[in-house]
Amino acid sequence: MTSRPSSVLFDKGVIRRVYERHVRLAVGRPPTLLQVEAAGAYARVASFTNSLWITQQTANILHRRTPVFAASILSDCRTFKKGRYLRRWARRLRDFDFSAEDVIVLAYASFGVSADGTQIGTEAVVTADLRLATRYEDNTAEIERRFMEMITALAGVYATLTLPRVFTTADVLTIL
Amino acid sequence: MEKLIVDDDGKVTIPPHVLAKRGLHPGDELTLVEADEGLLVYQRGLDPLTARWWKGLSDDERRQAEAEARSYEDLSEEERDRIWNDGAESLEEGAEGDEVDLPTK
Repeated sequence: MTSRPSSVLFDKGVIRRVYERHVRLAVGRPPTLLQVEAAGAYARVASFTNSLWITQQTANILHRRTPVFAASILSDCRTFKKGRYLRRWARRLRDFDFSAEDVIVLAYASFGVSADGTQIGTEAVVTADLRLATRYEDNTAEIERRFMEMITALAGVYATLTLPRVFTTADVLTIL
Repeated sequence: MEKLIVDDDGKVTIPPHVLAKRGLHPGDELTLVEADEGLLVYQRGLDPLTARWWKGLSDDERRQAEAEARSYEDLSEEERDRIWNDGAESLEEGAEGDEVDLPTK
């Protein structure tokens, strides 16, 4: 079994499907398989760590939704602020043909910072986007090289930051 | 991922460790779904957090949830996409003013 990460950042697509899983339950309609998979992965991760994180955009969207659906997710997950150099790293990740949304999530997992400053980044990203996961895996060596090149040129704590592992929701249910 | 072999009678055997992990017992029902990706075996029921959320709602909250859910489900896919794409974060250097310095260890 792959080692379980101690902290996880959920991308927006996972949170959307968890939210919509709740919507389907409330309205009495069967969920889609992707909604079931996302909700199952979310619950599986929450069973082994309570260090669950979302980005500011995801949190902002949830705060605008009705609390009856959003409150439980906002209660389970904490929200990262953007640490310095987050966008610089995100722009460099664009060279690997990730979407703008993908690079922001990946950059949060290295440069996101908790409100109290005690947590920086996460060990893993969980995504519903197979393309993101595949592209990350295919380019891991070069991404690591570019990341090291960037952080070793930075001072202090920035030089100790790490890259996340990336899991799809299906990975979570099958290998974690 | 598990590979299952169909036997002469058209039956497949789910490995014992998967049965144990998923809490399946003799007589439990599984649904076989023919999807674009192939055949998927779907275990009905709620994951623990969805179940916890639902059980935690009062009757009033469930009524409110149902009304809100109907309203959400009535939206088109494009309208739902707009909700979930709202406030996309900029990658531009000019937007970096909201980045905070990481604490020193």
